[in-house]
Amino acid sequence: MFKKILIANRGEIACRIIWACREMGIVSLAVYSEADRAGLHVQLADEAVCIGPPSAVESYLNMDRIIETARTSGAEAIHPGYGFLAENPEFARRCESAGIVFIGPNSRALELVGDKVRARQTMEKSGIPIIPGMNHVAADMAEYTVEARKIGYPVMIKASAGGGGKGMRIVCSEEELRPGLEAGQLEAKAAFGDETVYLEKYIEGPRHVEFQVLADNYGHIVHLFERECSIQRRHQKIVEETPSPALTPELRLRMGETARKVLEVSGYNNAGTVEFLLDRNKKFYFLEVNARLQVEHPVTELTTGVDLVQQQIRIAAGEKLSLRQEDLVQRGHAVECRIYAEDPSNSFLPSPGKILYLREPRGPGVRHDGGVYSGWEVPIYYDPILAKLIVWAETRDSACARMAAALDDYVILGISTTIPFLKEVIAHQQFREGKTTTGFIKSFFENWREKEGPEEWLTLALAAAALDELSPSQKIAKAAGTEEAVHSPWQLLGRWRIGEKT
Amino acid sequence: MEYEFTLNGVPKTITVERKDERIFVHHGDKTLEAEVRVISANAFSFLVGGRSCLVIVARDKDKKYVWLNGRTYLIQSGREEQRQAERGDDRAQKGKSVVTAPMPGKVVKVCVAEKEAVRKNQTLAIVEAMKMENEIKSPLEGFVKKIHVSAGDLVDSEKPLLELEAKT
Repeated sequence: MFKKILIANRGEIACRIIWACREMGIVSLAVYSEADRAGLHVQLADEAVCIGPPSAVESYLNMDRIIETARTSGAEAIHPGYGFLAENPEFARRCESAGIVFIGPNSRALELVGDKVRARQTMEKSGIPIIPGMNHVAADMAEYTVEARKIGYPVMIKASAGGGGKGMRIVCSEEELRPGLEAGQLEAKAAFGDETVYLEKYIEGPRHVEFQVLADNYGHIVHLFERECSIQRRHQKIVEETPSPALTPELRLRMGETARKVLEVSGYNNAGTVEFLLDRNKKFYFLEVNARLQVEHPVTELTTGVDLVQQQIRIAAGEKLSLRQEDLVQRGHAVECRIYAEDPSNSFLPSPGKILYLREPRGPGVRHDGGVYSGWEVPIYYDPILAKLIVWAETRDSACARMAAALDDYVILGISTTIPFLKEVIAHQQFREGKTTTGFIKSFFENWREKEGPEEWLTLALAAAALDELSPSQKIAKAAGTEEAVHSPWQLLGRWRIGEKT
Repeated sequence: MEYEFTLNGVPKTITVERKDERIFVHHGDKTLEAEVRVISANAFSFLVGGRSCLVIVARDKDKKYVWLNGRTYLIQSGREEQRQAERGDDRAQKGKSVVTAPMPGKVVKVCVAEKEAVRKNQTLAIVEAMKMENEIKSPLEGFVKKIHVSAGDLVDSEKPLLELEAKT
């Protein structure tokens, strides 16, 4: 087993990996940008090294600097988390040639699954169902037009290097094709430095269902069932759950087997996720492989009892996978909500800034994977994810109720977050009935704004503001000689003479 | 004692009286009675007719974030106009407009030049935060009076990006 692991990430996922290292007796080495000196991952890690200025290109994406840091600090392996360098074949290759273990798939598999067009070709050859569409890159506009006609409108434009919805466009008619392609190519070029796009049949009202898979270095592959991730805004997931309300045991079995096969034909090792689209007739199509630890991995952990991060580390260290497919079962139901620093009442505008107060929800079956704390200044430079709230319960209904209660208890003050929005998603009738498709947010929450609460609550809030005004509580605490514990505040408050006319 | 606050730009006035551990809050034509306990530097416990309500308050200069029953209220002390006058803010003045960024971020691009004529909703600048580019649109038709920032500058949500003058 490794003695020391470098975690090439920040925020909640870096913290998650550091916890796994701790439990396994591995020294954790955090790297951080100048903006993250006070970050939670730096506080939690055993060792920490600054790798450059705030801009991600100069720090968390700086391959040379990160590999050099691993070498000089004696880390034998690097865990990339998600995002940043997680699915970068060049980084994996450089780690391999520097003699450092990249905790993730080998660079050849990464390269294959990272190229959407090549991946489609490989899957089709192996009899894995793919969305009807192009398996090659068109030479010119005329060829795209012919292909689009062959597929039949509406078609979807997708970036070959794709991900995160970048470069994606729905085209409903031939007139829209050229402008759509041009816009898609431009966006793909900006996002991935590669303007290659291809066309696929547009599937209406689909569900996004993915399968978690683990593969060791010796060809042993198991899947850990599905995650339903249909609730998305801007093609990014915000609520995930497992099991999917849409799968029957028979369909689950077939999709799981297909997911295993996808990794097998890709020569894949370590943890990966096979994404499928499930159409209205319960037909499923291979979408892509996410060659990393997923943001939403905890729902799988809670229902299968498998620690995915520890499994990743064990597999990378060359251990054989001890899990057998026939032993794996799903128990109960888990739901995850992503807590972003965004203003949901204002088109999800980013909301960086100082967190003045944070209270994480607690209670039976509640898990909170966070990367922030009271007093932390959320930087402007990185992804807006702050934390993930995950609940487990025996049934879907009780998991939803538990999530609703946990969101009600969650306090983050100082910046806007997605919490009020998530509450209404979880409370929505369609969601409660499990009728989730990728169009859910667009159909029910377009231009959403938080509604006003009861008048009485407002009165109480104003009263609290007034009490706070006349009794800045820190002053009370200071006067009492206790910064935190205030035992008899009203005696102290008496001096401010509440209720006296001014 | 009377208190003036601003909530979402709307002035709110309440009167709070205290009697032992109870407060009487007059808001509009309603009066609310609550028993209050200070829990910590940030928290009050209210009992209103036997119902328990935890209230959490965090402050940032003249802003107070008040959380209760799963809801956050952003309350500012005093009245909006007063505060603007205190800050020397001339945004309220007619025919002149100071454009600010909607959130802290980094200026990626300034799309206009000083003295340039602008249409309403024309993109004036692009500010990036958290991997998202946000176009700052012109709130009016007129011309650019002054530009305060250039590409690469970091801005907060109060710093003026540029000043416009409306077409007369």
